[in-house]
Amino acid sequence: MSGGSGIPVHRRQFLRDGARAAALAGLGGLLGLAAGRSAGAGTVWQIDPQKCVRCDNCATHCVLEQSAVKCVHAYAICGYCQLCTGFFEPAPNDLNTGAENCLCPTSAIKRSFVEDPYYEYSIDEHLCIGCAKCVEGCNRFGNGSLFLQVRHDRCLNCNECAISKVCPSDAFRRLPAGHPYLLKTMSH
Amino acid sequence: MRRASEILIWRSQNQGQEMDTAEYAEKGPRRPGFPRIARIPRFRPSGLRTSFGLRIAVLLLLLCLSAFAEQRFPPPDFVETSHQLPATAAPAARGVYYQYLDVAVLGAALGAATWLVAGRRSRRGVVALSMFSLAYFGFYRKGCVCAIGSLQNVAQALGDSGYAVPVGVLAFFVLPLAFALFAGRTFCAAVCPHGALQDLVLLKPVKLPSWLDHGLGLLPFVYLGAGVLFAATGSAFLICEYDPFIPVFRMSGRALMVLAGAGLLVLAVFVGRPYCRFLCPYGALLKLAGSVAKWRLRVTPSLCTQCRLCEASCPFGAMRQPESGKPGPTLLAAGRRRLVWLLIVLPLLVGAGGWLGGRFSAPASLLNQDVSLAERFVREGDTPPKTGAPTSGDLALERARQNPKDLLAEAAAIKHKFRLGGWLFGAWVGLVIGAKLISLSVFRQRTDYEPDRGACLSCARCLEYCPYELTRRGVISNRSDPAYHRTLQVT
Amino acid sequence: MKSRNQTITRRVFLRRSASGAGWLALAGVWPGGAAQRNANPFAYDLERVSKTDPKLVRYEQAGRFACPARGPRRLALGPGDRLYVAARNGVSVLDREGKRLDHIAMAAPARCVAVAADGSVYAGLRDHVEVFDPKGGRLAAWESPGKKVWLTGLAVAGKDVFVADAGNRVVLHYDVSGKLAGRIGEKNKERNIPGLIVPSPYLDVKMGRDGLLRVNNPGRHLVEVYTANGDLESSWGKATAAIEGFCGCCNPVGLALLADGRYVTCEKGLPRVKVYSAEGVFESVVAGPESFPENARAGAQYDGSDGLLGGLDAAVDSQGRVYVLDLVAGDVRVMRAKA
Repeated sequence: MSGGSGIPVHRRQFLRDGARAAALAGLGGLLGLAAGRSAGAGTVWQIDPQKCVRCDNCATHCVLEQSAVKCVHAYAICGYCQLCTGFFEPAPNDLNTGAENCLCPTSAIKRSFVEDPYYEYSIDEHLCIGCAKCVEGCNRFGNGSLFLQVRHDRCLNCNECAISKVCPSDAFRRLPAGHPYLLKTMSH
Repeated sequence: MRRASEILIWRSQNQGQEMDTAEYAEKGPRRPGFPRIARIPRFRPSGLRTSFGLRIAVLLLLLCLSAFAEQRFPPPDFVETSHQLPATAAPAARGVYYQYLDVAVLGAALGAATWLVAGRRSRRGVVALSMFSLAYFGFYRKGCVCAIGSLQNVAQALGDSGYAVPVGVLAFFVLPLAFALFAGRTFCAAVCPHGALQDLVLLKPVKLPSWLDHGLGLLPFVYLGAGVLFAATGSAFLICEYDPFIPVFRMSGRALMVLAGAGLLVLAVFVGRPYCRFLCPYGALLKLAGSVAKWRLRVTPSLCTQCRLCEASCPFGAMRQPESGKPGPTLLAAGRRRLVWLLIVLPLLVGAGGWLGGRFSAPASLLNQDVSLAERFVREGDTPPKTGAPTSGDLALERARQNPKDLLAEAAAIKHKFRLGGWLFGAWVGLVIGAKLISLSVFRQRTDYEPDRGACLSCARCLEYCPYELTRRGVISNRSDPAYHRTLQVT
Repeated sequence: MKSRNQTITRRVFLRRSASGAGWLALAGVWPGGAAQRNANPFAYDLERVSKTDPKLVRYEQAGRFACPARGPRRLALGPGDRLYVAARNGVSVLDREGKRLDHIAMAAPARCVAVAADGSVYAGLRDHVEVFDPKGGRLAAWESPGKKVWLTGLAVAGKDVFVADAGNRVVLHYDVSGKLAGRIGEKNKERNIPGLIVPSPYLDVKMGRDGLLRVNNPGRHLVEVYTANGDLESSWGKATAAIEGFCGCCNPVGLALLADGRYVTCEKGLPRVKVYSAEGVFESVVAGPESFPENARAGAQYDGSDGLLGGLDAAVDSQGRVYVLDLVAGDVRVMRAKA
């Protein structure tokens, strides 16, 4: 609304100052409200292995080319079986490392002989795509020592994890950045 | 009703443990009006709400509990080779102090930007700082966490009392706004990596017709409302999902978003900063903050001779013409009538918008994962499970079958939130449209060509073109300019 | 600005419509491609082996009841065809329809149970055995055999008690007073015993009517027959997911013996209960994976007390009915031979 030559400026300035003060008060209130709840530290994404249903979405939905979710081995839980159902197809022709017998599509799980009749299995993270086939085999028939975890040397810690949005069992949680893993251990 | 501290102890004690509905109903905490859910919900960092003393107590309790923790079946003995079991690698996450470093860099960049624009008035400095911001916040930090996305975290914290915003994210939200309240949108100029990327490719700016500019300028407010609605209900972070430049920073992403980003960048060659002006939801907040800023950018240091070089140089159409004197009585009367009419229409718009928003809240709520699963369960819950390898949708449906009551209760609660939020969103859109119409009808007195405080992105291009500014810097001399002498005589 | 009524040439019109159609086609194909992603040809699929040929199933379900005890692990049959279920809070005694007759409370979860002919109950807790009289009063608590003990199977025959210790991969031979008499099943080159391989805590032992012990060797997919002295008489079994063998990495997980010496074996992973002849030749299926859908999908979940929850256990009563305990669903099925 127009008015006299000098007056509109002062009224406008007053309104502006008032709005600015209100905005600052609002921001301050927000800070106070959030600070009352928050306790600092950042949080990172992680998969709860007890909830994971091995659906394969981790391999396909991560925003990165190669998913930040990899298979991880809890060596103390493994049975070291010669016929590892996380390594071999359900009905292998022979217990060797031939591609037709192996479950892993990228040969990321390596088998090495320890002593009769125990074999040790380890995951090469550069090859693992996080498809959870070995996890399914191990958990279905075996001890469940293979499980998926978000690897924090790769994960970008997006504000909203694209995989968590499509996880059918809601297995993604936020953990404090200081303790970012939910590993299966000998004691629970 | 149990106290909040009891609830928190119970939660931290039971993290990661499966519990069935019966156990939870029996032993879990109850909050009035809050559905009982058998799982720890998403977006809830464990234990972050507790005060320091309570956290220590919880830690001690957990330590005591771990002493009684059950052992698992041990691995076989390797007697012949005495083989040692390797340890599971656990690469550490990015240190917490890095987050504080990001905030510090943000603060320093904002301060530098403000100083460069308001103090030094140097476009070159702004360009250099924006390149640094592009490198640091864009390509190094991969654009996450950013101020634009942080508003969703804040919205979620407001809509969900169990959610705690990390301090760094909160700082990303508050700092640019605080600076904008005093010095205008200096964040947009030199600190935001999205803006810096678009500025980098701006080669041939084209002036948009003003109706298009004003019309599209409403979109950021609508996007802001939608982003806040979906974040507050905990459904989706729309702004993060549909950010077109994040795939560029990460060098990977969904095909659709990569194409959208590329398309926007191609557009940005001709239309200055299309994302900033017509899409950025945080920009809507900055526009509001900038319009009440304490110090505004003044193009000419002394006199404005209306040469309009600054208006031509602004690629974002942010320059406003001076209006001198009062309009004639007929125009004034017409203007007043229009304003009154608009003031009457405004609440109608708000009401209509709210009603529309309420109508569309039901389909909008389907974007929420739990609601869509509940709907699917109601539709298909009784059909027997399919044979063959289950897809992730089938697995989710199975999870729903296990405790349908809780899922349905939670879905109902979220839909209720959406109904309220839909009304608010619709009313907000109505308000924005009405406010825009009113602001177009309001008369503003201006003597010089000066940037609109809300729309000005503080890029300092105009300062490079104003002849009086260049004279002040000593770039051009005024001795031979007759116009200068004439103005000297006038003042 | 061009006027609205400006005409365009045919060529221009055709060119524009062709490019428009091209864009539309692209837009149509793109989302269609996304729909293909639902069917994953490389998914882990056990459909081939999850279906049982109906001709092989020679048992039908005569009854089914939920086990009243939480976290059941093993079941055994006692005199009078009463069911003894070792569960989290002790041993529950049930009748044939699942009604609880008695309950022997214990401080720690009972993992295995065996009942002597006189009704005294031998219960294996995680690291030691406790003996109870038929009324439920505790008679004795034997001392733990040592470290890493993980008892998962018990068998009583006359004066001998055989305890399957999965943690040490051995079957311990006790007498009824609790004195250790021998160790069976340990790797021994001279006696040609390959040794028990037990990757997960499912070691079972049963005494046959011929006085020979039957022990499952899950890691080798064998059922081994021992004398009470520990001599390996014979063994049989094949590692294959097909119906005639033992699937997965460590099966069978449970054994039961029919009156004529035939075996009833239980497997986990692909939960199935099968009958083998006394020589170890596959005969028929009691219940296939279709009967245990929850169990099949459970995987290596934790029940909060000792780890793995999964698998089946079986016991045979005096009339040849097979009782199958589903550890995941927590129920017992009564299977009788088809006429």
